[in-house]
Amino acid sequence: MLNRIFGLETEYGLLIHEDRPDHSPTWFAHKIRDHLFHVQRRGVLDLHHRGHDEPPGNGGFLTNAGRIYLDMGHLEYASPECHSLTDVVASDRAGDLLLQRAIDELGFSDRVSLIKNNIDHETDATFGSHENFLVSRRFPFSRHGMAPLITFLVTRQIFTGSGRVGSASLQDAWIQMDRLLVPPSTFGVRHGKDLPFQISQRADYIVNDFFEWVQHNRAIVNTRDEPLADPNQYRRIHLLLGDSNMAEYATALKLGTTGLVLQLIEEGHAPQDLEIDEPVEALQEISQDQERRWSVQLQSRKTMSALDIQERFLDCALQHCKGQDEETDWVLAQWASVLQDLRGDYQKLIGRVDWASKLWLLECFRESEHLDWGDPMLKSLDLEYHNLNHTKGLYYGLLEEGRVPRLTADALIRIAMEEAPKNTRAYGRSALVKHLLSGWAPIDAGQPTNSGGLFPPYVINWSIFQVRGRPPFPMPDPFRTYLEEVRTHLESVIA
Amino acid sequence: MRHSTIPERRERPVDPMPKSPHPLEEGGGPRRPETGSPDKDSLMKRMRKVDPKQAERYRQRTGE
Repeated sequence: MLNRIFGLETEYGLLIHEDRPDHSPTWFAHKIRDHLFHVQRRGVLDLHHRGHDEPPGNGGFLTNAGRIYLDMGHLEYASPECHSLTDVVASDRAGDLLLQRAIDELGFSDRVSLIKNNIDHETDATFGSHENFLVSRRFPFSRHGMAPLITFLVTRQIFTGSGRVGSASLQDAWIQMDRLLVPPSTFGVRHGKDLPFQISQRADYIVNDFFEWVQHNRAIVNTRDEPLADPNQYRRIHLLLGDSNMAEYATALKLGTTGLVLQLIEEGHAPQDLEIDEPVEALQEISQDQERRWSVQLQSRKTMSALDIQERFLDCALQHCKGQDEETDWVLAQWASVLQDLRGDYQKLIGRVDWASKLWLLECFRESEHLDWGDPMLKSLDLEYHNLNHTKGLYYGLLEEGRVPRLTADALIRIAMEEAPKNTRAYGRSALVKHLLSGWAPIDAGQPTNSGGLFPPYVINWSIFQVRGRPPFPMPDPFRTYLEEVRTHLESVIA
Repeated sequence: MRHSTIPERRERPVDPMPKSPHPLEEGGGPRRPETGSPDKDSLMKRMRKVDPKQAERYRQRTGE
């Protein structure tokens, strides 16, 4: 779709079902990762330092060409490079299933749950769902050029948000420490608003419009210039304001609509008169608006609703993108449908929009049990919506009842656990990982190799790899599979 | 391709990952959910099984 490469990175939470657990979530994360690589042999662990926080053995590439690793103590899965929404949805779900199956095989299912969300209610911790979109190097990566993108991103949460009970500490209560803004919870203080429910998990944690860092000072648009491809041709738009979605439909609509808006910006067709006056505040106000009027103040002093703003983007996309391919037309049709339904009863969105599904479940339970919004049970149900254990998770309960539209199938997800998309660079990388797995015994990344030389047997990164004894093999174009070249290169290693 | 700014690719995509039979049609792909008066019994049963204290236990490290 869209002549675009998509990718998702998901950090997972681990919920331990014990009052006095013997082990921390990070201990379980290590066990799960080790099971995936050492027992199930799903991929090859890194043997080199990828960065100061990624020592050898911290994670590795999988046969599906994605990655599983530990990041700040969290299990994280990065999907392979995908050229279609169908593939990215299947690859994203494949990551969920890889991790859940490891938990099941380890016999941890009763002790620990994998939670695909972005917050905890107790400490104000947050962890991300990052979106990646490949664009041309000529993309107007400036405040002015990206003003329409900011407006779109601030308002898209009305159909991409996963919803949460309560709120995090107020943004203006954050404390300046050198160049960092840190939440008061760092010092054991909470200043959260007394909100029953809001539509976004991440909105409370976004404190900048543009910034280069990914922890603290999170921005609507992350400005780190790391294309993971030929930097003369490409730029990677890296977004960290979005929520992890349980609904396949929401995942596809989030990536699809954002991809279309990036196209409108690239082609000079994005609406230019919708610049938001205070985008960071608007992001939080929309999320927290209990009346769901979602009003936004523009720099022109005009007030518009997030729905009307989204309609303007949709109109532009219909005018300039309709008919270019099947997935684009699906996105346009579903975008229109969701916006129309958002003007009515939110219950029409159940199964498609995560915050709507969650709110409906919570309201049903509240009504049945006569609970008010302050009851701690609602926070626990909030978490349970994101539980990846199919027999427990509330999202999977909705799915079981036939209330959730699917964009992929279980069989395709199982394939995506092992196979890469066949039309991107991931395909060539997958061949490399499978070759390494078939030819070598598992290597303990924590131990020095005794086969001579300082260079490890292999080094794999997103855009280049090297196998010992051979020159580096660059893969700068994510749209190429490099399959034949990779095979030839590996044959010469064997020879 | 309608992009004017993305350079032409040097390689045409080959067979993509197999897709669901009818990804965009009724029956095989996205459908509007039935939102009339659903049977909530099984969902209520799931929700009643949830440990009320689990949110207190869920303390994560801040990530990215």
